Amino acid sequence: MCPSEESPAPTPLPESPGDVSPSPPLNTPPATPRDVPTDLPPQRVRVTAPRTSARSSSSSYPVLRELAEESEVGQLFVTSLIRSQLRLALVVAGGFLIILIGIPVLLTVFPSISEVTVFTVPVPWLLLGFAIYPLVIGCAALYVRSASRNEKRFQDLIDEF
Amino acid sequence: MNSELIPSAAIGMNPVVGYAALILVALSTVLIGIYGLRISRTTGDFYVASRTVRPWWNASAIGGEYLSAASFLGVAGLILISGVDALWFPIGYTAGYLMLLLFVAAPLRRSGAYTIPDFAQARLDSLLVRRVTSMLVIVVGWLYIVPQLHGAALTVRITTGLPSWVGPVAVVVVVALSVMTGGMRSITFVQAFQYWLKLTALAVPLVFILLRLGSEGMAVTARGAAFTTDLDITGQASLYSTISLVIALLFGTLGLPHVLVRFYTNPDGASARQTTLIVLGLLSVFYLFPVAYGILGRIYTPELAAAGTADSTVLLLPGRIFDGVPGDLLSALVTAGAFAAFLSTTSGLVVSLAGVVSQEFFSGSVQGFRRAAVLSALIPLVFALLTDTQALAGSVGSVFAFTASTICPLLLLAIWWTGLTDIGAVAGMLTGAALCGGSILAAALLGGEAADFPWLQQPALWTVPAAFLVTILVSRATGHRRPRNTARVLARLHSPETL
Repeated sequence: MCPSEESPAPTPLPESPGDVSPSPPLNTPPATPRDVPTDLPPQRVRVTAPRTSARSSSSSYPVLRELAEESEVGQLFVTSLIRSQLRLALVVAGGFLIILIGIPVLLTVFPSISEVTVFTVPVPWLLLGFAIYPLVIGCAALYVRSASRNEKRFQDLIDEF
Repeated sequence: MNSELIPSAAIGMNPVVGYAALILVALSTVLIGIYGLRISRTTGDFYVASRTVRPWWNASAIGGEYLSAASFLGVAGLILISGVDALWFPIGYTAGYLMLLLFVAAPLRRSGAYTIPDFAQARLDSLLVRRVTSMLVIVVGWLYIVPQLHGAALTVRITTGLPSWVGPVAVVVVVALSVMTGGMRSITFVQAFQYWLKLTALAVPLVFILLRLGSEGMAVTARGAAFTTDLDITGQASLYSTISLVIALLFGTLGLPHVLVRFYTNPDGASARQTTLIVLGLLSVFYLFPVAYGILGRIYTPELAAAGTADSTVLLLPGRIFDGVPGDLLSALVTAGAFAAFLSTTSGLVVSLAGVVSQEFFSGSVQGFRRAAVLSALIPLVFALLTDTQALAGSVGSVFAFTASTICPLLLLAIWWTGLTDIGAVAGMLTGAALCGGSILAAALLGGEAADFPWLQQPALWTVPAAFLVTILVSRATGHRRPRNTARVLARLHSPETL
């Protein structure tokens, strides 16, 4: 379910961001990425957290993956990735909310449901105290799987490209 | 509820038990904190544990930090009072993490920022947004610590008979010590330990209670009477109140500072998702227990509802079913769990607040972090000592409504919408803060009459959409201020790290 479980590859802390003036368009290779780690073993550095006044530069992210972000095709892929992730999130959230809000609405419209009991436990108690939790976990698991799949598809596209 | 001293003898709890439990939890917390100090050396360790915490550890830590006084004591208390309506609280607390998973977890982790204000500034390239966000985060954090300290006051009073101020002061001292010494790294260990402590503290006594009730043929649900008895002193929740509460809890979780900072300790976006999934499992299992205590409380401790001390249901129930030494031992376990709840949530909040405060005012060094930690813990202590205890689950609910109306629109739109501008974000946050804060204040001032104005008591259903709407409209109107690197930042937030 989680493709990168075994490759934690710690992302560098936001060290000196380097300036990120937009490099020439299209497939020119990334211009001397100053803060991409070289082969040298990483040294342990004492960093202080960013200060309020010291950070007005336009981007605080190190320049990685320039290709995917700078080229037009790359941009297109990214936009479509964001769209599909948003659509997925909205569908799962919407479905869950409809069921969740549906319960009190149903109980208000048909108050007689409250009188049905299972082993002396009234149905609303069963629904709200127990049954809703597997639903939450189910929605979450579904989302995690689909979101990873979207990312995998995106990565395959970039690799081919 | 009044904060007079209730003699512990009157409610049948052995004070020695209380002392032992409190001292044990405090000691183990400080010890694990000191152990953490030996392995946390850099600023990165202090703030976010250098982002190397594994999903299971991290998920336990998130659970430990999140399950506050409101969850441990408040849920059972509210079920005792208002029955089935109270079940929405644990649902909201849990499902809030679903929303977090869907909309925030992975992108926020990938942003690479330390705190919410950091994220806001990086995304919108604006110091103004940073300032406003910092102020809101600090306010939310303080508001959320106060009920924890109220819970500590209640627990210490009931279990030891000591005066009310002892509990909050003890919590603040232990938290300040452990946060100052170890930062986030040691806090992660402490929090993870405390999730399992809290779960055990509720599960073991419940198992014994049910075994005893079952073997002696005593009532478990009193043939369903437990569910239908009307102990309510506040009247039934309307459909509007229920939905508004659910919205507040679902979308308030996204914006809680101590919840968000925890996600930065994941190594990457995918593991942030994995962690959240595990958290959902841990929370779902946990909430079965307070619900069970609440139901049993409706049979064995119903008089607490009228006495206004419903929040002590969990603490008193074991003593009602078992006499003598077994009762004392089980009570000690529950008390330890409750104390763990205040300690862990408070320390989580203090860590995240200290992160924000130290960056804002103390230039973000380790020394500054320590000073900020003391400051972040002392100010809510003063509030807590000056104000009176209220129903824990309810007062925490108001904080959720406030974050849902302020920080949630900022986060969601910053992550998913290219059109957001700094002015739009600030306008939305201030609108949400004014509307929601104003409603909660008005409801508090109205006191008992507020029951006639559910839209003031539970404002989230209209203040959250209002905040979103203002953010979007103002951003549209100030479209020229859209940061030029928006596309690049969004790409960073959403593309996998392995690229």
